[in-house]
Amino acid sequence: MSVKVTYLDAIREAQERALADDPRVFLYGQDIGKFGGAFKATKDLASKFPGRVLDSPLSEDAIVGMAIGAAIEGARPIIEMQFADFSTCGLNQIVNQAATLYYRTGVPCPIVVRLPSGGTPGSGPFHSQSMEALYAHYPGLIVLTPATVEDAYSMLLAAVEIDDPVIFCEHKFLYNHLKADSLPAEATPIGKARIARPGRDLTIVTYSAMVHESIAAADEIAADGFEIEVVDLRSVKPLDTDTILASVARTGRLLCVGEAFPWGGVCAEVIARVTAEGFGLLDAAPQRLNAKDTPVPYHPALWGTHRPTASAIVAAARQQLEI
Amino acid sequence: MSEVVKARPSAARDEGREFLKAYRIMLSARVLEEKLAALYRGGKIKGGVFLGRGQEALSVSIGISLRKGDIFAPLIRDQAGRMAFGDTILDTLRTYLGSSLGSMRGRDGNIHRGRPREGYYAMISHLGAMIPLVAGGLLARRLRGESGVVGATSIGDGGTSTGAFHEGLNAAAVEKLPLVVVIANNQYAYSTPNDRQFACADLLDKAIGYGVAGHKVDGTDLAACLDVVGAAVADARAGGGPQMIVADLLRLVGHGEHDDGKYVDSELRKKHVGRDCLAVAGATIISNGWATEEQLSAWRDEVEIEVDDTANRVMREPEPDPNEEDWRAISTPVLEDHCS
Amino acid sequence: MFQAPIQVPIIMPQLGESIAEATLVRLVLNPGDAVEVDADILEVETNKAVMGVTAQANGIVGEIIAEVDKSYPVGAILGYITVTDEEAKRLGISDDPEPKKSAPRKPKVELESATRVEPTIKGLPVPAHAGGASYLTPRMKARMAELGMHAADLSGIAGSGAGGRVTIEDLERFLEDIERNRITPASSMRVAVADAMRRSWTRPLATVGRSVALDKLLAHRKAQTAKPGPALYGLRALAIALGENSAPAGRLIGEKIVHPRSVDIGFAVEAEDGVLVPVIRNADQTSLADLVERYNRLVEQARARRLPAADTGGSIATITNYGTFGLTLATPIPLPEQTVLLGMGAGVVVPSWDAKAEKFIPVTEAMFTLSFDHRVLDGGAAGRLLKRVAELLNAPETL
Repeated sequence: MSVKVTYLDAIREAQERALADDPRVFLYGQDIGKFGGAFKATKDLASKFPGRVLDSPLSEDAIVGMAIGAAIEGARPIIEMQFADFSTCGLNQIVNQAATLYYRTGVPCPIVVRLPSGGTPGSGPFHSQSMEALYAHYPGLIVLTPATVEDAYSMLLAAVEIDDPVIFCEHKFLYNHLKADSLPAEATPIGKARIARPGRDLTIVTYSAMVHESIAAADEIAADGFEIEVVDLRSVKPLDTDTILASVARTGRLLCVGEAFPWGGVCAEVIARVTAEGFGLLDAAPQRLNAKDTPVPYHPALWGTHRPTASAIVAAARQQLEI
Repeated sequence: MSEVVKARPSAARDEGREFLKAYRIMLSARVLEEKLAALYRGGKIKGGVFLGRGQEALSVSIGISLRKGDIFAPLIRDQAGRMAFGDTILDTLRTYLGSSLGSMRGRDGNIHRGRPREGYYAMISHLGAMIPLVAGGLLARRLRGESGVVGATSIGDGGTSTGAFHEGLNAAAVEKLPLVVVIANNQYAYSTPNDRQFACADLLDKAIGYGVAGHKVDGTDLAACLDVVGAAVADARAGGGPQMIVADLLRLVGHGEHDDGKYVDSELRKKHVGRDCLAVAGATIISNGWATEEQLSAWRDEVEIEVDDTANRVMREPEPDPNEEDWRAISTPVLEDHCS
Repeated sequence: MFQAPIQVPIIMPQLGESIAEATLVRLVLNPGDAVEVDADILEVETNKAVMGVTAQANGIVGEIIAEVDKSYPVGAILGYITVTDEEAKRLGISDDPEPKKSAPRKPKVELESATRVEPTIKGLPVPAHAGGASYLTPRMKARMAELGMHAADLSGIAGSGAGGRVTIEDLERFLEDIERNRITPASSMRVAVADAMRRSWTRPLATVGRSVALDKLLAHRKAQTAKPGPALYGLRALAIALGENSAPAGRLIGEKIVHPRSVDIGFAVEAEDGVLVPVIRNADQTSLADLVERYNRLVEQARARRLPAADTGGSIATITNYGTFGLTLATPIPLPEQTVLLGMGAGVVVPSWDAKAEKFIPVTEAMFTLSFDHRVLDGGAAGRLLKRVAELLNAPETL
């Protein structure tokens, strides 16, 4: 009997392994101790590692600031923001302290900031955000967006080993919906994107939960005789421009899909690079598909069209293929 | 329950050895800052200059009470404290004058300098933000099994209004960390007087709110500062949890050297709080017979020469070269993102 | 030796982040006064404060060029301090006007000089792999698509862009200019033929020819009741020759030769302002006599533009009788999907040396040409095919 591993299990197991393998690792965040975390991402870890899984007050600035101070003194903290949306309360410490520490002082800042990100039905404006573009904008941060159970595990482990601050954007919807047979023994290095679905006629560049929506869209369009290639970025910063360009070289068409707000998002960055470095590869103008330029609505009927879904991706892809 | 510890009156201390040591550091800080002001008004400084004139006694007390292995996150007006903790005239001038040989290598300047690996944290401009940092550093030491470490940081009356001050001190109190927060109430935050900054009767009352030990001290009195700060540091080191010190003094300069502080109530300068702590300490030394006026004068001359010579030398050092920079913000080269 | 006294400039300092200038309020020291480092020389006022400007040299105050109550920007020279050589040395003032500066690092990518195109006077750079004049930008392509134009239509335009590129402006000017000519619409036939010829021309085409004696053919034809058209003789000869060896009618696709499936031969028929090509299927398997009726009917249908779909398309080679236009020689263009095109010129009576009779005798000859895709055939293979056709035409009873 094989018990499936969920995306959430992967995150918990990665933290457990990090705590077991490296005495410098400790966890800090709200409700992560005995309670095991709002999403149970740290379930049982406080009892397995007494004194190293600490409950913090409701103070994102202090949580991040303390992690940075601890990192200066040689620790490797993993901190949990209860929802990505609340990380803005600690924004100053992330972008002005953690992100600048190495550049200013030469001392690296090996913290991992876990952000439960993305929307679920009914979660509303403040429990649904995708913050990767905001953090990628600031020099000095690594921003990761795992889309699979395997990547959630191996990339979190890798994040702990990186000497620089890592913003780890885990997708809440995938926590319990995504399952795998087992956890991987090996991993693709951070900074390399993955061809989630090989194709020929159109490249969809995307990340996190949108990878799955894009694959579903690609499978639907396959019935029309078009094969869509889906590129899973895995890391938003550093961005694997080489893999993206190689894919566009094969297909000549690009659609970038992201769950986040449109202005200045990851898709804008991808398209800027492809246009600048791969202009001659394009048969059609590159396009992007993002959430609408409004806060994330609460009602599932509105939320259903606010962000891209498989059917919206199908429509956008069809447009790209008709040119 | 926190205790409000009143300052002990000035007393003869051990032939004044610690007092004299503190005075000489204060004098160095004062002379160095006078030079920085002159260099600024001569167009030689890159960026802004923020001085701690009038706050040297309080600041030096922090630096002197800390030991090697402790953590210190000084703020804007802590030239004296920094030098007591190990910073040098040379690195101060290098950072202000933009020498590529300074500790920040041109990437940050003036009071934003530090050497974090030596426990000397480099402040960021967002006030209050250093408090969680020091708390986190202390937490890491404790998790490593170290004891007897103290972390100290300065902040002004204005900084106590920030969220970071609140969150950091609260979290440190919950964890009972050996954190010493020294609040220099110099009566003004830039141009904002106390009555536009906070509504509580006394900043010291916040200690009760946070559940930490609180201490009041006359910031113009070096002896009192050495006493109170020393005691608070010792208490923290012995496991007494966070310590909040509130010192009353007056900022004797503009907010920065680009500001002339016209808005400061001139009456304050005449009051007790407006006393120049360096002059007061000098008078104490002379009245206690620990040194003569000539000796104090000679010390000033010595420091002036050292500061001038160091400044001239630093002004001939190379500037950072943009073509030699790696322009990389992360320490892991293989993870560099090539966006431009 | 007289040496000019060294003047150290007094410069307006940066007195605050957003400060761009300050007003001179008063002179603290006057020209001629001795001054020490860090002493105040002047007093200036910004919108935030009044402060002193300090001397950064020991010497004598020289000329003060700034005026009281006037504003000067940050970095402006307000006056000078005269210093001794010694002091100048101490300050590190050297004779070098320009201190050595490091050079910016070379960019990582280096363009091959071979592909570089020199920019025109307009200075527009061409992308290194642009290919010069033939490069069409997405914008150009979009405009041309709107107008239904192809690159071949631009051949009359001298491009003014870099490398001879035709720019949007060149194109718009060209279109404006031709508006002044009489313009008639091209028929859909014309447009279709234009497209076919344009596509065919993308290959390297060549033509070879030989004279073929027609006397035996003419005699054979005279003897028929239902007279086969001259082109039908040529069609049958070509069909038999290709039935024997179909390779010359093969197509080169990538690195493969794609051989014909059946010997279907087309023949060109002029219709309105274009050409139609009816097809005789399996022309190698039906005799000349049996093809006459079908051929004549197809010619009629083609002329009337009522050619059935089944009788057009899919031919592997085509024959064209340009002799009917009075042409003795032509180099027609094979259909874009075909490798060879057999052409027939007009018959001419010429003197031919009869070696046996040792005199010139009149002979009727016509030029037969083979136009072909030179990627598939060389002159030798083309010549051999023509020779076989000529042989067959000289034995018309075998057709």
